Amino acid sequence: MVAPDLANGEDIAKLIIPDDLPDEPTFKAYIEAKIYDKEGHVIDYRRQPMRSLTQYFLAFLSIALVGTYSGSSSTTAQSLLTSVLGMPSSQTSSGSADIGYSWSIQLGSGTQSFSPSLNSLAAPIANGTGAGQLAYGNTIVSYSGLTIYVSVTVTNYSSTTINVTEIGLIGSIILEYETSSNTYASTSFTYLFSYDTFSPAVTLPPGAIATFQITLSFSG
Amino acid sequence: MIIGKGFEDINVKIPNDASDAGSHESTFNVYLTVVVRDSEGNIIKVHRQRSHSPTNNFRTAILPEQWYQETGTSASWINTLGTTNTITGIPNGAHALISYPNSHTNYQTYLVGILVGSGSQSNPASAYKLAAPIANGSGAGQLIYQAPTLPSGIIINGNSAYFYIEQTYINQSGGTVTITEVGIVVEVYLTLYTGSSTTAYNQGNILMWYDVLSSPISVPNGGSVTIYYTFTVNP
Repeated sequence: MVAPDLANGEDIAKLIIPDDLPDEPTFKAYIEAKIYDKEGHVIDYRRQPMRSLTQYFLAFLSIALVGTYSGSSSTTAQSLLTSVLGMPSSQTSSGSADIGYSWSIQLGSGTQSFSPSLNSLAAPIANGTGAGQLAYGNTIVSYSGLTIYVSVTVTNYSSTTINVTEIGLIGSIILEYETSSNTYASTSFTYLFSYDTFSPAVTLPPGAIATFQITLSFSG
Repeated sequence: MIIGKGFEDINVKIPNDASDAGSHESTFNVYLTVVVRDSEGNIIKVHRQRSHSPTNNFRTAILPEQWYQETGTSASWINTLGTTNTITGIPNGAHALISYPNSHTNYQTYLVGILVGSGSQSNPASAYKLAAPIANGSGAGQLIYQAPTLPSGIIINGNSAYFYIEQTYINQSGGTVTITEVGIVVEVYLTLYTGSSTTAYNQGNILMWYDVLSSPISVPNGGSVTIYYTFTVNP
C-alpha cells in the first residue's frame, strides 16, 4: 500500500503538481524581435524564453479541453469561462450563440511585477505615428505541426527613439449572438495571455521597423 | 527601405533549446496522475508523468481568426469515428464557430471525458481516437466510467496557476484491467448564422489530448482508478 488515502485537497495538490519528474517539459515558448534601421539593415536581434503565462491563457485553453458547456444537457457555461474570463453563464440570444478568437501582440514601455491575474501591460505603446507611438501592422498567425507562430511588425514613424521594455500576447474571445430583430451582434472579451519584459530594452530609432514574434510550441 | 536586407547575413547562433531549459521550467506544463485503489478503497499505486500530447485537433480548436484571414483556407479535425470535418475560412463569409450557452437554442460543446484504453500509438499529435478504448461496463476487460469532474476554478499559488480535470473508473469486470493510454475527448458543435437562420454542425467526439502511459496501470477487480490531468502555468 502506498498511502492510506488522500486526506484532503492539499494532498491531491501535491500529487497532481509533481516537481520531481524527469523528461522534457510539455511546452516551449519564446519571443523573438528583429529590428531594422530605416535603411533596412538589421540592427538588433533578440530571442528569449517566454516566462509568464497568465490564468487567462489557461482558461482560454480550457475551451478546447472541456468545451463551453458544463455538461451534455446543460445550458450554462463551464465554470472557468464565467469565474475567470467573466463571460456570461448564458448569453441572451434570439437564436444560438458561438465564440471566435482573436490574438494580437502588444508592446509597452513600462515594467511591472508579474502575477497570473495580470491583465494589461504597465505602459502600452499606442498605435499611431505620434511621439512615443508605433504603427502596428496586422497580426499574423501561422502554424507548423503543433507550433503556433504569432507575429506583428511595427514601425516608428515618430522623430524620437522608442524603447520597448514589455510585450504581451493579447487574446480576445468574441461572443456572437442573435438579437431580437434577427441581426447579428457580438461582445468582445479581451485578456492578457502572457507578459514578458526585455532587458535591456529593444530600441527603435526613428524610421526603424521591428518584427516581434511569439512562438508557442506544444511538444506533441 | 529594403526590409530584411542584411537579415540573411546576420550571424546569430540560435540555440537549439533557447526555451526554458536548464534552471527554468517551462511556462506551461501538463501532468498526468493516476491513483489506483483496491477493493477496500486503499491507495495501492500512484503513477505520475508529464503529459506531452495535444493533438492536431487541439491546435485546430485554438486557432484564432487571424489564421483564417491570413491563409484564406480552412482548418480541419478528425473525430473519433475517423470523419474529417472542415472549418471553412472567413474570407468566403461562412465561418462556423464553437457553440456557446444561450437563452434560445443550445448545441452542447462539452467534455465527454477522459477516455482510457489498452493500446498505444506512436504519433500522439495525429491521434484522433484511442488505439484500443476500454468500454464502459462491467464485462470482461471493461471499466465503469464515472462522470468527469470539470474544473471549478483556477488555483493560484504565487506566480503559478493551475486547474485539473478528474475522472474515476470502477472495475467490476471480475478480473484485472490494464490501462496503457488515455485521452481527453470533447463533443463539439459549431454554429453558423447566415443572416436568416442558424445552422449547427455536429463535429462529433474530438480527441483533444492523448498520452500513452509511461508504464501500464493495472486496476484490480473491485478496485478503482482516478485520473487527474493538471494544466499549469509558471510551475
